[in-house]
Amino acid sequence: MNKNILNQLSADERPVAWTLQATAEDMRVSPTFQWNLETKLMDKAKKQIQPKQGWHTNIVGTVGWALAALGAIFLLSWTIRSIVSGVQPATNETPTPEMSFEEKVRAGNICAGPLALAHNFSVFVTNQEKTVFVPLDEQNTIGELRSFAWSSNGQLAVVGNTTGAGNIYVTDSVDHPLQPVIPNSELGYLMEVAWSQDGKQLLMWSVQNNTIVYVVNADGTNLLERKLDLQLFAIPQFSPDNSSMIFRGANASSSGLFEVKFDGLQVRLISPLVDDESGFAWSPDGSRLAYVEMDRTLGEARLVSEEIATGNKSVLATLPTPKGSGSSLPESANLSWSADGTSLVFEFGRSPTDRVIYLAHADGTEPIQLVTSAYAPTISADGNCLAYISNKQVFLLDLTDTITPPLLLADLPTGRSIAGFQMDKLQWSPKRP
Amino acid sequence: MTTLMNLRQNQYPLMDDARLAHQARTDLQAFAELYHRHLTSVYRYHLVHTGNEKDAEDLTSQTFMAALEGIDSYRGTGPYIAWLMGIASRLRARFFRGSKPEVPLDAALQIPTPSLPTDKAAYRRLQMDEVIGALRHISRDRAEALILCFFSELSFGEAGLVLGKSEAAVKMLISRGLQDLRTRTSLALEVDYE
Repeated sequence: MNKNILNQLSADERPVAWTLQATAEDMRVSPTFQWNLETKLMDKAKKQIQPKQGWHTNIVGTVGWALAALGAIFLLSWTIRSIVSGVQPATNETPTPEMSFEEKVRAGNICAGPLALAHNFSVFVTNQEKTVFVPLDEQNTIGELRSFAWSSNGQLAVVGNTTGAGNIYVTDSVDHPLQPVIPNSELGYLMEVAWSQDGKQLLMWSVQNNTIVYVVNADGTNLLERKLDLQLFAIPQFSPDNSSMIFRGANASSSGLFEVKFDGLQVRLISPLVDDESGFAWSPDGSRLAYVEMDRTLGEARLVSEEIATGNKSVLATLPTPKGSGSSLPESANLSWSADGTSLVFEFGRSPTDRVIYLAHADGTEPIQLVTSAYAPTISADGNCLAYISNKQVFLLDLTDTITPPLLLADLPTGRSIAGFQMDKLQWSPKRP
Repeated sequence: MTTLMNLRQNQYPLMDDARLAHQARTDLQAFAELYHRHLTSVYRYHLVHTGNEKDAEDLTSQTFMAALEGIDSYRGTGPYIAWLMGIASRLRARFFRGSKPEVPLDAALQIPTPSLPTDKAAYRRLQMDEVIGALRHISRDRAEALILCFFSELSFGEAGLVLGKSEAAVKMLISRGLQDLRTRTSLALEVDYE
């Protein structure tokens, strides 16, 4: 609400004003309508807003038309000569009608491969036609499923919890049942899991002791416990060569994004300005680490790409944030790279309802806003689809042609949960089908 | 891969509306920024008037089409939002000409059921209907002032320009309007003190 107005109201007028305000805030523009309107405006604006042309432009235009006319005469003449010199046999081929984005998705021509979703206390995977989310543990025999992680070779690890004990399950195909890796462990309440780059090891942490990480082989053997001099704030990620892990955490003197070597556990503070737990990601080839820095002094958020071999850093995007320590900062989350390493997506904003999904380019060209009021972005392995959540629905956006309105994949499934628990995670399998 | 939204690249974060509107005559990105700043205000204005999403979307679409078409006619003498909401207001008036909404007389005094629906979305919808219904039972001027200030988030001065009234007159309309809602409709019973 306009705070100036609220301040000018008497105490007995304010309650009704608050009701009006609450009602107004519930009135949200639907993403599909917004998309259609923007497309219409864009078409109209292209016709209407033309740059002013100077005399030289007119001359160039005239000469261009003359050249085009000459070209047309030449082409006509060549065509006539071709027909006269020999008629080509007719083929039986009929032109294939172009498929819509939705048809291509349903047929599995693009954006193929499963899309997984963690919502409430369940994990789901799309069916082949991308029309519905199917629960992974349909019979609900495992208990609460809290999160998941795809390996680079398409295995899916799922984190579950029953009566305080953490469980990890793995399947090599969504059609196969989940196999227990660590059932009913003594590791405590597990929240998330991460794969090594080669898909052979898993990394875990428990919220009950956030100075310990566990590493285990994917077949459940060789469980190792590593005690750190740091507190973990979220699941670490293996480095591309599996020699270290990177995570957001804190020690006695600083907080930020840290790297810890498995061999000797040496610690390096990569950046003290990384505030968000999922605000960092390795490039697919492992040569670069991207992360979002929140600079309170300058009042900006920076998406940084660091070249691992040289240590060179480049800023791929900057977004304004409040300055100083007085106000809370927006969050950046779910930073991830496209499979070809040319672009990154991430969400930015205060709450899931007011977040914006940005697409940044690895070459540093200007980032673009893809979707507003949306979160949990993830790019499909073929680079053609962006999946995201908006207004309790999952959408697919055609990244090759954003004029196409987003395709509604499905509503967020309902399931068991408790008040205050929200961890909506969406991720495509990185393996190309 | 270009839509109007994509064109907005935070390059005008500090530029005021009037300068943007001037630039929008030849610069699509400037119009994209203006569109983003005011989309919600226009949409809420139409939604609270029409009471349904489809008509609100149609009118919002028409408003921005008209704004784009007439951007040259904005002279910068008043706030851009007042000019834009003026367009929205005229389109709304045209929409309602010949299709006057009818509200049953007893709706104003209808006491809402004390047991709230468990489904939040359904509850929100009911609350929205309740508010929209209540606004239809107070004088048009007062309701319009409340809608412009609370739903479209205009200042008293900006709302005054849309309504053709002074800032003081708008303040008075707001005050009386809130009082009407409190005393003459069931809305007061819906007040949430959180």
